[in-house]
Amino acid sequence: MKKDDRERIVAPEHTVRADKYPLDDYTAVGKRVRRKDGYEKASGYAVYASDIQIPGMLHQKILTCPYPNARIAAIDTTRAEALPGVRAVLRYDDPELPPKADLSGHFGQAGQPHEPVLDRCGYWQGMPMGVAVAADTEEIAREALKLVRIEWEARPFNLDPVEALKAGAPLTNPESYPDGNFLLPFMHEKKVTHGDADKGFREAEQTIEFGMRRDQDTWVGPERPCGIFRWNGEYPEVWLKHQRPHLAKRQLAQFFKVGMSQVTVHCPYQGGSFGGWSQMALNMQPNVIAGILSKRTGRPVRWQFSRREDFCGAGMDNARYRVKVGFKNNGEITALHATSWFSREGLSHTDHFVENSKVINIIQESNGAICNIFTGWAIRCEQNMNCYCFSAVMNHVAEALKMDPTELALINDGCEGHAMADIAEWKRKRGFEDRDSLRECIKAGKKAMDWDAKWHLPGMKKLPSGRMHGLGMSWAHEWGDSGGSAAIGIRIERDDGTARVLGLRCDNGVCAETAYCQIAADELGFRYEDVEYRPFEEAGFAPMTPDSSTNLAVNGWAIRNAARRLKQKILEVASLPRVTERPEMGYIPPFEGYRPEDLDVRESRVFVKKDPSKSISMAELVRPAFFMGKMDVGSTEPLFAWGWQNQQGAYDISGPPGPRPIFVRQAHFVEVEVDPETGGIEVTRVTNANDVGKAVNPDAVEGQQYGGSVMGVSRVRTEEVVYCPATGVVLNGNLIDYKINTMLDCGLIDTIIVETAMGYGPYGSVGIGEDVASVVPFAFYAAVHNAIGKWVDLPATPDKVLKALGKVQEAK
Amino acid sequence: MKNFGHVNAATLEEAVSALRRYGNRAAVIAGGTDLLGKMKDEVLPAYPEALINIKTIPGLDFIRYEGGTLSIGALTRLEDIATNDAVRNGHAALAEAAHRTASTHLREMGTIGGNICQDIRCWYYRNPQNRFPCLRKGGGRCYAIDGDNRYHSIFGGSVEKGCYAVHPSDTAPALVALDATITTTRRAIRAEDFFQVSAAKTTVLEDDEIVSRIDLPPLVGKSAFVKFALRKAIDFPIVNCAAAIGLSRGKVRSARICLNAVHVKPYRAVKAEEAIIGKAIDEAGVESSAAAAVAGAKPMSHNAYMVPIAKAMVKRALLGCK
Amino acid sequence: MTTPSYPCPYCAAPFGSHEALKAHVVAGHGAEPLPKPHGLIALTVNGERHEHTVEPNTTLYTLIHDRMGLTGAKMFCDRGACGSCTVIMDGRPVLSCMTLAIECDGKTVETIEGVAAAKHPLIETYVKHHCMQCGYCTPGFVVTAKALLDKNPDPTEEEIREALAGNLCRCGTYPQHPRAVTEAAGLLQGGRHEKG
Repeated sequence: MKKDDRERIVAPEHTVRADKYPLDDYTAVGKRVRRKDGYEKASGYAVYASDIQIPGMLHQKILTCPYPNARIAAIDTTRAEALPGVRAVLRYDDPELPPKADLSGHFGQAGQPHEPVLDRCGYWQGMPMGVAVAADTEEIAREALKLVRIEWEARPFNLDPVEALKAGAPLTNPESYPDGNFLLPFMHEKKVTHGDADKGFREAEQTIEFGMRRDQDTWVGPERPCGIFRWNGEYPEVWLKHQRPHLAKRQLAQFFKVGMSQVTVHCPYQGGSFGGWSQMALNMQPNVIAGILSKRTGRPVRWQFSRREDFCGAGMDNARYRVKVGFKNNGEITALHATSWFSREGLSHTDHFVENSKVINIIQESNGAICNIFTGWAIRCEQNMNCYCFSAVMNHVAEALKMDPTELALINDGCEGHAMADIAEWKRKRGFEDRDSLRECIKAGKKAMDWDAKWHLPGMKKLPSGRMHGLGMSWAHEWGDSGGSAAIGIRIERDDGTARVLGLRCDNGVCAETAYCQIAADELGFRYEDVEYRPFEEAGFAPMTPDSSTNLAVNGWAIRNAARRLKQKILEVASLPRVTERPEMGYIPPFEGYRPEDLDVRESRVFVKKDPSKSISMAELVRPAFFMGKMDVGSTEPLFAWGWQNQQGAYDISGPPGPRPIFVRQAHFVEVEVDPETGGIEVTRVTNANDVGKAVNPDAVEGQQYGGSVMGVSRVRTEEVVYCPATGVVLNGNLIDYKINTMLDCGLIDTIIVETAMGYGPYGSVGIGEDVASVVPFAFYAAVHNAIGKWVDLPATPDKVLKALGKVQEAK
Repeated sequence: MKNFGHVNAATLEEAVSALRRYGNRAAVIAGGTDLLGKMKDEVLPAYPEALINIKTIPGLDFIRYEGGTLSIGALTRLEDIATNDAVRNGHAALAEAAHRTASTHLREMGTIGGNICQDIRCWYYRNPQNRFPCLRKGGGRCYAIDGDNRYHSIFGGSVEKGCYAVHPSDTAPALVALDATITTTRRAIRAEDFFQVSAAKTTVLEDDEIVSRIDLPPLVGKSAFVKFALRKAIDFPIVNCAAAIGLSRGKVRSARICLNAVHVKPYRAVKAEEAIIGKAIDEAGVESSAAAAVAGAKPMSHNAYMVPIAKAMVKRALLGCK
Repeated sequence: MTTPSYPCPYCAAPFGSHEALKAHVVAGHGAEPLPKPHGLIALTVNGERHEHTVEPNTTLYTLIHDRMGLTGAKMFCDRGACGSCTVIMDGRPVLSCMTLAIECDGKTVETIEGVAAAKHPLIETYVKHHCMQCGYCTPGFVVTAKALLDKNPDPTEEEIREALAGNLCRCGTYPQHPRAVTEAAGLLQGGRHEKG
């Protein structure tokens, strides 16, 4: 093992070293390779949890709360129990259920990790609660739930965070929050200050104030959450759709009081999760209930949410904001005071100014409320509030100054109050090339969409078609939520010398398994074709984030470390006499007399560095030494190595590794046409320019760009969970009325990859999957404004656009 | 989906007698794209005892032109209408309306008969498991009046304080504008009389009555269909409009204009027709006609924005007939 | 899926299909033809004939996915609004979740497994152009595209987008599909206008 490697493993938090190991040449990394999961997925043979059936399995259904805030006053399950085909009924008052359990795997609702398994109360319409049934068929289970007699105590509810926080507002969750509807923000204080905002406002030459809001969207993972629970005697065996199967395993083991080594969790391919459901208690609830019912019935129990039940999987914050910003006439922002009102999640909304600009005088106030809407959780990323606020401030200031927002961006780019000049110095000191990531992204993006020729002041360009033309731009750093640890193994198949990567199924669509194979191939010196990621399906070796948060930037290190250790092992084995007692079988010692450091591997062949003509294939190296009857006897020790990465984040300006990188930027541009007669918005073009440091798999990077653009536009153009204001019931819990965009709703998408190698991942890479879908929505927000000269809240549906244009007469 | 009885009808007579046998407890299934969604969600208080499949009846799937009259069998798939060159030339509004309906798959499954007989999409009515036992289901009230009515009627309810759900069909306004005649197992009805509603129904069909064919008279002039929806595929209209215009020396001689998704039934904009007669199809002409179309609008609490959209649709449908 | 056995009620001789049994009863025993049991359907799936007894509420999706193990058809929306469960029936792309199996008697059905087994070039062009991310909706796209190419061997990009507009993809792979379909069309036409 090289000294550097040892250091990395002993002191893995030294991510400062991240960029110090570029390879001399890449044969697989950065190349367009045939993706490993492509054929399986295109041909329909890829297996998802919802495709699995176990003989004799029962079907489980859980009651959902018909009211937004209600308590079961009385319950009678007799008729349900008597229905033929019903095998078990579980009620909230069952003695086996603990009053509270930690089922979350991560966090339940913000501030509430422990919840009843089966609650007596429901806090939003559609919340699974009260009673669960296992029956021979799903239809019978559903019928049984209808036969449960319940006397409901329906209570007043509140859907709006501003209303819920008013004095005297009815309690939205009297059991857990008896003192009021206040919710502390997630992972930060209610009031956060940086610098000296008063001073900043005094220095300002102009001050503007504005408000904005965004209504709730939801995740819509294509495969509805599901699981099958089977007790093999004392050992639970579970199949599930989950982004964090290793954590699901932990929670199940804890709940059923068995060792984790006794639990088997299978997590096959998953049909898109984007961070929804799986990090929440609600996803574990049906798994735990299935475990209880499986034990009671002695049968495997399967559950799957219907699309309607699934709607409450996660919803980004329906936040409202009030923003005051001070700035100089040259565009420099001097102070910011931003207040939010949100329900449920409530992540920070001004972090990006600290991490991503030289704006340092900031007051952030967060007013969290418990509302009777479904749980907030990140979809694709938790940075939406930050991205919205950042983009809104930059674009409102640009409007006030009649300035091109791309210029304003470069004026304010920085980090923790530092200007780019300071950061340039910092880069040089640490051996980075001084590349201005934002400038490069903006330049490339503007060129691709011909920005300079097209840009105009807001509301100033009417097209011959009568539509209003708009351009919007937003930018961010790569926020890299890359804390976590990853473990991964690589094994050489004994007979043919191909490599098999061992880790639990990591696939959430980001082509990560292919990228791991690319890294392993280059680090091992193997042909890409000779490396496969066949999942070690049981949740044992756990790459950090099958949920995809900076998946590659953490797991990439683990696979790289594993490959380097394995290669060393291969070279050691190649320079040793092989295990054999019968040289007459044709055994020729490979590389006798050479030391490991004299050898190398390329194209899946081990060779002598000084004389590459002396070489053998991996297959020859590991082929059977001899045959004992029909049994072959291996000639080398098992060739296996593991790799590990404990990542605490990327570079911080202040020196020690911190959670935030500062060098790498992205810029996104959206072009729209707004029909002033209908309020319809057509997105004609989205241009993404992402500095990804190093694109390990360029196809995957582009996939996250156009994929994030499609989702990003969709979630602010047409997506909105509609609650009935009078009853609190979700009105559009299906894919006809909840409108995710189709192929015809997306214009041209440009994908520009910038590679500055300044990232925190292997080869200087960074993550990208969360970025685009989180920033593009707010470039769209700016583009709509640029088109019509009015700010429109999100989602910018025609009613809001027409209202902004003054074309709607209020109803009588 | 809960179980039900199932009958394959070999003839229309068989289908009718099966319907009679079940009283009002059976439903007719053709493409099934509307009905099965309702059954899966158990939208109605009563679940159908049986489905009478009429796809097994031969001779109801045809598109024919005879002497300029277009005849279409009730089981003709929307995609076949949308892609039929003769229909595209002869009755463009209908071809375009069929083309703009839903998505490829649904057009390949859905029939023209089913499209005009489809049920309302009101999200209160359609909420699963009869969550809102509304007026239309024999309950006491329309929940949309106090609720979120952004997709509801801007021209009043079916009766005073009645059902405010709109008719969601794309082909219906085209058939009204093109003055189609709908033939059923009992009678022939003009399209504009077909969509008469009571509090609980979308058409005048009796429980044992089945649409068999649709005839469209020769069109003298031009027709057009336009649609506004949030998405360009899958969606039902927020507003759509069909127009059929006869021109003489540059002036409008005859006009039939029908909006849909703005009222409980396809809304023939008679005032708009009157306003455009004798005028040219130009910016001023269509503007005054469109203004007349929405002059009587009485929007609800959340849907006033539909008024300017309806106006725009009328203008564009007229301009499409130029 | 094993073929159900149909024993003769007169002599117990087994037959592989209801129709064969009927012919035998008429010819061998001079008896009236047996009425077809309710719910018995015969359909051709991927070129093979299958007989199944289904309940009226069994959808074609349930039949092929749960009973025949053809799990490539996926259920995303369950209401006919996403295209993930698409199969080709008598030449038309239809939604198997909104089709009753009992109404598929005598029909010819092609699923993604059939498209793949026939080595349709769409499969490889889909892989090449990264038309999948999580992959859950992908088979529905491929089957819909196959139905399009069957009907229209040389579609324009606009026609491809129209044809696939009823297939939802939450990962957002949309821009890639027209490229893959165009290339597959070229390959099917002997590479005459391969556009890569």
